[in-house]
Amino acid sequence: MNGWLLAATVVLGGGLGATLWGVATGPLRRRVVAQNLSTAPACTGLILLAQGYDRPAYVDLALVLALLGPVGTLVFARLLTDELADDPPRARGVTWAAAALAAAVVLALCVAVGPSRATAKLLLVGALLIGGNVIASRALSGGIAGVRGG
Amino acid sequence: MADAVIVVALLLVAGSATVAVLVRDPVRQALVLAVLGVVLAVLFTAVQAPDVALSQLAVGGALTPLLLLLAVRKVKRRKGRER
Repeated sequence: MNGWLLAATVVLGGGLGATLWGVATGPLRRRVVAQNLSTAPACTGLILLAQGYDRPAYVDLALVLALLGPVGTLVFARLLTDELADDPPRARGVTWAAAALAAAVVLALCVAVGPSRATAKLLLVGALLIGGNVIASRALSGGIAGVRGG
Repeated sequence: MADAVIVVALLLVAGSATVAVLVRDPVRQALVLAVLGVVLAVLFTAVQAPDVALSQLAVGGALTPLLLLLAVRKVKRRKGRER
């Protein structure tokens, strides 16, 4: 077992375990935030697995997840507008913590891979993940008028 | 030792699937199902089936919750009209 697989195990076990706990308990606002944040540890875990198994093609999975995860959260933000309007979820701290985790993992992998096309792909995954996460968080807390109003 | 990833993914799948059964409200169930879809995709990747994981991500992450929430919304609207 190499270090990348160990890191993937820790990220997946800790991150997804925490989001599972968040989505299983508490009020609806907390569950929505936990669902949104489940994308970040899963995506970073997937790129760590790709590096650990030495299969660069597996990064495609992380790319798809980084694209579709925020889409799923926007579905909830759009269709749960009425339930969330009374007390909108605010999770600035955890959102930035998840973004920092993604940035740290992507940077570490870029250093390990070295400059090549794989590095560009990793950077794209990281940018999509962090951008999508922040946008979905803003949509959940009512920051985007179009999602709320429609 | 390399099986640790698979064990963790299996535990997560078992946990989230159990939670999806225990949660009774359909809206909250949709949230748990979205997480379950992502966890299942991770499990499929850990057992070296990335093609299955790819389709699981598309279906479990976005489509299943969308269908569930649309159904819940329609049922609620019909109830409101009858009253």
